[in-house]
Amino acid sequence: MSVSVGAVKLRGPVLAASGTFGYGTEVPLLERRALGGMVSKGIFLRPRDGTAPPRIAETPSGMLNAIGLQGPGVEALIRDYAPRWAGWDFPVFVNINGESAAEYGELAARLDGVPGVAGFEINISCPNVDQGGLYFGNDPRAAAAVTEAVRRRTRLPVWVKLTPMVSDIGVIARAVEAAGADALCAINTFVGMSIDLNAYKPRLSFRTGGLSGPAIRPLAVHLAHQAARAVRIPVIGIGGIARAEDALEFMVAGCAAVQVGTATFANPRAIAEVHDGIASIFESKGFSSLADLPRYLPRD
Amino acid sequence: MFLLDGALGGQRRVARDMFVISIEAPEIAASVRAGQFVNLGWSPGPLLRRPFSVYRVDGDRIEIVLKAVGEGTSQLLAMSAGDRLSCLGPLGHGFDLSAGPKSIVLISGGLGVAPMPLAAGEARSRGMHLTWVHGARSSDELCTEADGHEVIWATDDGSKGFTGNAVAAAPDADLVLACGPNRMLAAVANRWPDAQVAVETYMGCGTGVCLGCAVPLTGGGYDRACKEGPVYRAAGVDWPSLPSHLSYAVRA
Repeated sequence: MSVSVGAVKLRGPVLAASGTFGYGTEVPLLERRALGGMVSKGIFLRPRDGTAPPRIAETPSGMLNAIGLQGPGVEALIRDYAPRWAGWDFPVFVNINGESAAEYGELAARLDGVPGVAGFEINISCPNVDQGGLYFGNDPRAAAAVTEAVRRRTRLPVWVKLTPMVSDIGVIARAVEAAGADALCAINTFVGMSIDLNAYKPRLSFRTGGLSGPAIRPLAVHLAHQAARAVRIPVIGIGGIARAEDALEFMVAGCAAVQVGTATFANPRAIAEVHDGIASIFESKGFSSLADLPRYLPRD
Repeated sequence: MFLLDGALGGQRRVARDMFVISIEAPEIAASVRAGQFVNLGWSPGPLLRRPFSVYRVDGDRIEIVLKAVGEGTSQLLAMSAGDRLSCLGPLGHGFDLSAGPKSIVLISGGLGVAPMPLAAGEARSRGMHLTWVHGARSSDELCTEADGHEVIWATDDGSKGFTGNAVAAAPDADLVLACGPNRMLAAVANRWPDAQVAVETYMGCGTGVCLGCAVPLTGGGYDRACKEGPVYRAAGVDWPSLPSHLSYAVRA
């Protein structure tokens, strides 16, 4: 079940999504043999407290979250987690965040060459302080600038996690491909809001949050497919995957691999179940490897 | 920590709209400490699990106490004996009695009764002088299962026991443990900064990864009710910043 995401060889097609697997040391009970890789919780240069509670709200077939990228900052990550990753038998990508393109570049430079860090996943769903808070991911030039800033500072693989909150994901996908991305991760959460009818105000203290879970899966399959059609680099599918069949939808639609996220919250064994489920479907269909899976990917 | 499927047992009513259900969970029953919780899932059910303090242990079974406060708890109460539940636990850090206080006071309000039978049992087995004060708005909302312990009852309307809240009815002791609505715990913190209190929060995973159960700390920042909590030193929590009245509250 090994797959290639560009030059990165993974022992399996299922990765743990950023923000749903901590730094890889927290989720118990998971059989790690099933992990193709993991993406760390998003990190900034400096420590961040995160947002005030309530931070999560369940919605039909999904959940909203506004955690605010709480984290210990890059130095603590290098000190406390990277040494452990260095001994693991699957690659760990670090999800990097910043308020300016320069900050992303600095993070990449700081992490480049640190044992245990296999590559980067750039979260471009952050507000760009230099551009008055406009999200990097909504503007092809800003998205490309961030990608380039990271690309210039590292030889490690650079993945870019795309936001679905755009009118044409293909435009952003092509812009970051041209700026040097090695792969795309599609997609991040949708921005949503839910109202507490007892308090007459939003259920999240941050007002809005990122919607994840099965509720977004068909939207995510479509956007991952649109991104895959637009570029030549691999796309990793993300969005509401809880079972093997969900993962295969993304793969048939053009994805090289997938990430499982919110499903892990309800089922700590979700990644192993998705991985093993794919293997047993392949066996029953007579596919010997992922290359045998028929794809639906007409090129733009 | 264990993840296991167990059969739902019987259900009993312990106060108005308040029920105890039991779940077959041998490994959890054998290892749970007072103040720890389980995160329950079922199919078909809501996306996220629902957290509950373990109320009692009965052989291979654990008991939880709940009210139908939302869709999840309503579904749980509508299930039948023999139905399977997925049970993740025991989770979090419970009460810590290892300092060996001579006297201990347990203060619970409403569904905050949940961790107290186990806490009372541990205090008794360690030979501590135990006082348990349990309060509710009125006698019909008061869970009066005492598990063989002597309990001081308190009701806001005076319909049973002391008139007023459980905090006001409680004596001083070497160690105070409390669980109940966050505003009650804030009152506990005022009177006994070193009390150990079990908080209610929204919760996602229960295992420390989603950071959804953030508890604001007086020293700044947040930590996780599911991992560092749910039991805190009372004065360590920034009470005005901790939301209450949860849509799927389990203890308020």
